[in-house]
Amino acid sequence: MSDPGRPIAEEELHAYVDGQLDADRQPTVLRYLQDHPDVARQVAAWNAQRDALRAAFGPVAAEPIPPRLGLERLVQARLSRRLPWRAAAAVLLSFGLGGASGWFLHGGQEPTAALTLLAQQAVANHVVYTADLRRPTELGALQRDDLSRWVSNRLNHKVAPPDLSADGFNYIGGRLAATPDGPAGLFMYDGPQGVRLTVFVLPLRAAASLPIQHIDFAHVDGCAWIDKGVGYTVVAKLPPPELRRLAEIVRGQYGGAG
Amino acid sequence: MSGTLTRIEACIPALRRYAAALLRNREDADDLVHDCLERALAKLHTRRDDADVRAWLFAIMHNLFVSQLRRAKARPAGEPLNETHEAAMSMRPEQESGLQWRDLIRGLNALPVEQRTVILLVSVEDLSYAETANVLGIPVGTVMSRLARGRERLRQMTEEGDEARPALRRVK
Repeated sequence: MSDPGRPIAEEELHAYVDGQLDADRQPTVLRYLQDHPDVARQVAAWNAQRDALRAAFGPVAAEPIPPRLGLERLVQARLSRRLPWRAAAAVLLSFGLGGASGWFLHGGQEPTAALTLLAQQAVANHVVYTADLRRPTELGALQRDDLSRWVSNRLNHKVAPPDLSADGFNYIGGRLAATPDGPAGLFMYDGPQGVRLTVFVLPLRAAASLPIQHIDFAHVDGCAWIDKGVGYTVVAKLPPPELRRLAEIVRGQYGGAG
Repeated sequence: MSGTLTRIEACIPALRRYAAALLRNREDADDLVHDCLERALAKLHTRRDDADVRAWLFAIMHNLFVSQLRRAKARPAGEPLNETHEAAMSMRPEQESGLQWRDLIRGLNALPVEQRTVILLVSVEDLSYAETANVLGIPVGTVMSRLARGRERLRQMTEEGDEARPALRRVK
């Protein structure tokens, strides 16, 4: 690597000051400084300069971070700037699907207000974000843990993207979604023949649990259920039996009854 | 605790320190940090999880700073002279060393910006020479020569300041 006997280069003197000198050159440099007091004075001055700069600016890093630089706040601001619900409303209206009359629930239960909200928001977010070719997700598959943590924090409910890889659906990322009822988590998957599937998780504190319901939304299908105060949906352009099977897998992974 | 967002959060104090040293005004410095974080969040999905977050953030901030300088140069009116460097002034010790302090900050601001950035990244931010080269997008050899020239020039400037008022020299 380096030859301990070779003459001292000026950059080694700087590396000495910055603690970046190779250990095997240290004795040679020290000896050189002993033999050359003028150089030693110069190096001492650089050292003092380094210390003075650190003393001058170091305290800035010890200050509390101002609120406008808080990372969570910045992430939230980015998300709300996108106004996903307003965009979703526009999409739904353009499809003539505004209001609850555009879709139907099949499950033997009367659609409750909570389920109506859940289904509308899940489908709206599905439509808006799966159509976004440039950036369908806020955080990609590589940041799976980051996303889980942030969504869990925001939802005040621990949640991670379910694993559907055994069924040919690969997780590609997710985002925080906005609903009139607060934040929701949206996880997106790429399936066979380019089918995009989303899993939508929305806390609905006061809502009663409901078994899996089928949502028929004209151009997409979904499954929705509520379990222990949390609403879940799985939405994709897939035949209802296949969707139902996937919904049951998701439900199982989220600890619900099969 | 791991994860990119957590690691970004951990770098915010250092980003503020570097920005405060680059810019004279603390408000401007935090604006720069703000823009840097916004840019980082916008680029987050293009990042690999295992890459060095700190060097990545400093590089983003450096690029923003450089384009800011370019815009400032394009403006007709120049910056007012002798602006106080609030970051340092607020921390300035009271007695005679305050004068040396002022010389140091003045000298730092008098350096060409290429030398100032290298000195700060190496001396204050503890980046290795290779990391500094990476952040600034220049070869390591250029880092070394800018560091050597900058340090030496700053030393001469502060020593001239000392000699200009021998009566105030500290007696050890």
